[in-house]
Amino acid sequence: MDIASSLAIVTLAALIHASFQLSVSVLTLLSGHAIGARHSQARVMRLTFGFVSGVGVMTLLALSFISLVFLHIFGNEAPQFVWAIVCGLLIGVGLAVWFFYYRREKGTSLWIPRSFARHLSDRSKATKSGAEAFSLGLTTVMSELLFIGAPMIISALVLIQLPGYWQLVGIAIYSVISLLTLFSIWVLIGSGHKLSSIQKWREDNKHFLQFAAGGALTVLGFFVYVSKIVSDVSGAL
Amino acid sequence: MNDDKTTIIIKRKGQRPTESFDKAKLHQSIVSATLSARTPDGQADNIAHAVTNYVLEWLESRPEVTSHDIRLVATRHLRSHHPDAAYLYEQHRTTL
Repeated sequence: MDIASSLAIVTLAALIHASFQLSVSVLTLLSGHAIGARHSQARVMRLTFGFVSGVGVMTLLALSFISLVFLHIFGNEAPQFVWAIVCGLLIGVGLAVWFFYYRREKGTSLWIPRSFARHLSDRSKATKSGAEAFSLGLTTVMSELLFIGAPMIISALVLIQLPGYWQLVGIAIYSVISLLTLFSIWVLIGSGHKLSSIQKWREDNKHFLQFAAGGALTVLGFFVYVSKIVSDVSGAL
Repeated sequence: MNDDKTTIIIKRKGQRPTESFDKAKLHQSIVSATLSARTPDGQADNIAHAVTNYVLEWLESRPEVTSHDIRLVATRHLRSHHPDAAYLYEQHRTTL
């Protein structure tokens, strides 16, 4: 796989990651509590920036960690069966997202364990400093691993094949693109947009986001399967 | 007007201990939701007073209600004052 195709896969995986909504939900709750507690706009921005930074750092660390583990286990090229398993995982998670991502109720509740959701909700209310918001961001990424694990794993498999310099570029591209949604919400909050409008948009478009994320995961799974496994096998014949 | 101590609130379908109705707590939650909708402080306080008083009247004949009932009644009345704040108040438990 050439560098351009590899980075394209990483970019698509990062876009899928960006379409997942747990961190956006926590950011909405966090800013709602901060504004409701009569904090100044500067403090609201500090808290929310702390949260976005935490999500960014944990995404960077998680992807680097998965890549490092793969590099140690497989070297620069993972075996075909690993690619096949990961393609299956992408398609499986894609289908699961179509059917199970949101709970069947009003609002934007997700299919994550309720104890996780309650913990994140309670912490978003209790967060008073930038450092706490940063750690809330770290925790949120961990809670979302069930869904973001698949795009991260395929990105890591693609990245370990690249030369060292391009691996760093790939990790940077993934981290920045996966933060795009969160960063956009942060800018909207900073520019004085109403949280109710943001939440309403999310609720009105939740099925589209769910369909897009699930569909993109499935397409990515098929694309990697064809470009990596089918082409290698047909090339060997 | 209902005495704060007479109405029992059943929380989360009985999964958490019951508690007496706390007018200040309801008032504060309405203020927070209204402020979250970028409403000025004074207006938020006035709306919270109106909604809290409405809920108190509704509670007069009810010795025992669930926290969900209170949220529904408060949301219904808040919607007539500030639809955006009512939306945020209603969505609070279903955002995550």
